[in-house]
Amino acid sequence: MPRTRSPRGRLSRRSFIQRASFLGGGVVLLGPAACKRSEEKPKPPPTDTGPLGATAGGQALRTFSTFEYAVVAAATERILPRDEDPGALDADVPVYIDRILQTPEMEPVRDDFMGGVAALERRAQRTFQKGFAALTPAQQDELLTLFKDSPPRSGEAHFFELLTVMTLEGFLGDPSYGGNQGKVGWRLMGFDTVGTVAMAPPEGHDGPKCLRTCGVHK
Amino acid sequence: MSLPEVDVCIIGSGAGGAPMALELGRAGFKVVVLEKGRHYRPQDFIHDEILNSRRNFFMPLPWDEPHLVRQGAKGRYERSTAAWTANCVGGGTVHMSGFFYRLKPVDFRLRSTLGAVPGSTVADWPISYEELAPFYDRAEAELGVSGEAVPHPFAEPRAAPYPLPALDVHPVAGEIDKACKAMGWHSLPTARGIISRPYRGRAPCSYCALCGSYGCETGAKSGTDASLIPAALATGNVELRPGCMARTVEVDKQGRAKSVVYLDDKGVAREQPAKVVVVSCTAVESARLLLNSTSGRFPRGLANGSGLVGRNLIFSSFGESQATFRVSKHGEARPWLKDPAPFVNRSVQDFYLLPDARYGFRKGGTLGFMWTHPNPIHAAVGLAGKGATAVFGKALKDKMRDYRDSRILQFEVYAEYLPTPGSYVSVSDQVKDKYGIPVAAITVERHPMDLAATRFLVERGEEILLRLDPDDVRRGTTSGETTILQHGTCRFGNDPAASVLDKHCRAHEVPNLYVVDGSFMPTGGSVPSTLTIAANSFRVAHHLVRALKG
Repeated sequence: MPRTRSPRGRLSRRSFIQRASFLGGGVVLLGPAACKRSEEKPKPPPTDTGPLGATAGGQALRTFSTFEYAVVAAATERILPRDEDPGALDADVPVYIDRILQTPEMEPVRDDFMGGVAALERRAQRTFQKGFAALTPAQQDELLTLFKDSPPRSGEAHFFELLTVMTLEGFLGDPSYGGNQGKVGWRLMGFDTVGTVAMAPPEGHDGPKCLRTCGVHK
Repeated sequence: MSLPEVDVCIIGSGAGGAPMALELGRAGFKVVVLEKGRHYRPQDFIHDEILNSRRNFFMPLPWDEPHLVRQGAKGRYERSTAAWTANCVGGGTVHMSGFFYRLKPVDFRLRSTLGAVPGSTVADWPISYEELAPFYDRAEAELGVSGEAVPHPFAEPRAAPYPLPALDVHPVAGEIDKACKAMGWHSLPTARGIISRPYRGRAPCSYCALCGSYGCETGAKSGTDASLIPAALATGNVELRPGCMARTVEVDKQGRAKSVVYLDDKGVAREQPAKVVVVSCTAVESARLLLNSTSGRFPRGLANGSGLVGRNLIFSSFGESQATFRVSKHGEARPWLKDPAPFVNRSVQDFYLLPDARYGFRKGGTLGFMWTHPNPIHAAVGLAGKGATAVFGKALKDKMRDYRDSRILQFEVYAEYLPTPGSYVSVSDQVKDKYGIPVAAITVERHPMDLAATRFLVERGEEILLRLDPDDVRRGTTSGETTILQHGTCRFGNDPAASVLDKHCRAHEVPNLYVVDGSFMPTGGSVPSTLTIAANSFRVAHHLVRALKG
């Protein structure tokens, strides 16, 4: 699948989080506010964004270059660092994000996420004259906190929220999406200790496939 | 392309549409049901939180099919997934929790009971509880409802026990009973649209704990997809067309509904002629469909000569609090904390109607107790928080570890949402959905009395939680709206100048057009309304079958 990269560098769009409390499980969708599907968007001419990358373990990437992947890996590991329990990298959270951003319906989210990664990297260069992935954990936390504490409708705050939500999805989602390897996320939250019947999907469930085939509403 | 005419075309297959399809099919009429979503089968319902709860398996994405929502007429519209229910065969009954309460007699005469309420367009219903009661019996039997009727101060009369015995409950239900009794209140079992025993060829509940927000893979949840729709299709008279998005209802020269124009599952425009058109797409979406169905005869939208279509929108007033018990701390003394049973099924309705207005309101509502939903991503996103107060890193992981050691009991409030002139649905002149159809625009303006009532109910619920001696009680909100419970946009009544539908839910202005979702309700009641919508649809079907047979 060809990669599309949005020229919309200005991350001013607001995320939408709706909690339908009555549903209990929470219907939470993240997405930009001002993207109008009904009006045909002029597509930017394809630009050469470089070859797709691979993880340190040699897994082929679908969304990120190797360089981008390093930024995402470093950022997710600060959201959920390894301590006495596994962290984001142990669960393959960046692999989840790389794959889930290829869902066609997620295109607006992909645009926002890629723009956010670029913004984080720019901020690292400007502040520390180093790439984000090369910073110390304390410096990385400083930048992430700066994004987090930005005004509520800013692109920085939106990206921080997106990063947190995607990291938690990758940590706690079904392993078939590429994250939550070894079900380490479910173990941390105790999802496997409650309930008389297995609450997780059966063996062999392919979440990404269902997302493609069931999630289409024509 | 125009298709052969049928007797009845029903738009929507949820709590409103399905009873009509079933009863008309049984009576021998040729029925087509148009459903915009897909027809999922039980095997499609997988315990995958990302698929079910976080993408467009049930709800459309806000950039594909937004609702525009604003607070007050001066507010700014925001794109939102609010006020959608599931887009699939069965509609909102597929991913409901299935809290199947009935309304109470007072809900049918709220205007008479309260008198005029300044700032509210509250109105009595043109029918009484007694007129609807036989159809509650009918809906409970057809769908499959498990419960136990117990006497209490606001118990509504009922002719017979529930069709199925109550579901098994967690021992904490007994603790809630004790706490309520000590305060002189009456906890009562919450009836559920879930079958507790084998019923009409359906397998009973397996107590899997992923119920609300999910489809039921065993078919034990009494969504219309598991109960009424299969029965309707079995009559041989009902054709179900999933993936078909209604665009307009067309009228003939006499102003009668003649057909439904829709986009089929390939995106091709079709026209389905019918002798009778039944609209049941949710209160918000039905209003949108009628408002988008403009013609020379109805320039402001179908059946909208009165200008009332979309007005008097009502949601359900929402509040909640959560009590956290640390299992490692209390597990010894309270072994029930380790019991994995998913259902609490306890409600408190002692404050359904107060004798006077000393607390700033008279019409209160219902408290429903439950364990918090087990969805881990949803829980963790809540723990992380939002904005400047959000946490990440070790602080977040510590919260997640605490969560693992917790059982969280909560209540939800279903309180009256009084209709106001400031809560309504219109259609956007700027934003269209992915089909090119103008989207619904929702304006919300709450009545101060709702907020007083909801706060009061939250405080009472917290008193009950505190009696259970938890480690922590945290208030969620006292001023929310449950937007999947929606009513009022085509209210029924006897006066054509003050209502869109007559008492049989037939449009005053269009004699062969019916609306049977929550739109008809001039007041929402103080309980979830799914069962009421289904019961009313059985009532309307009873009338329509007789009318068509002459």
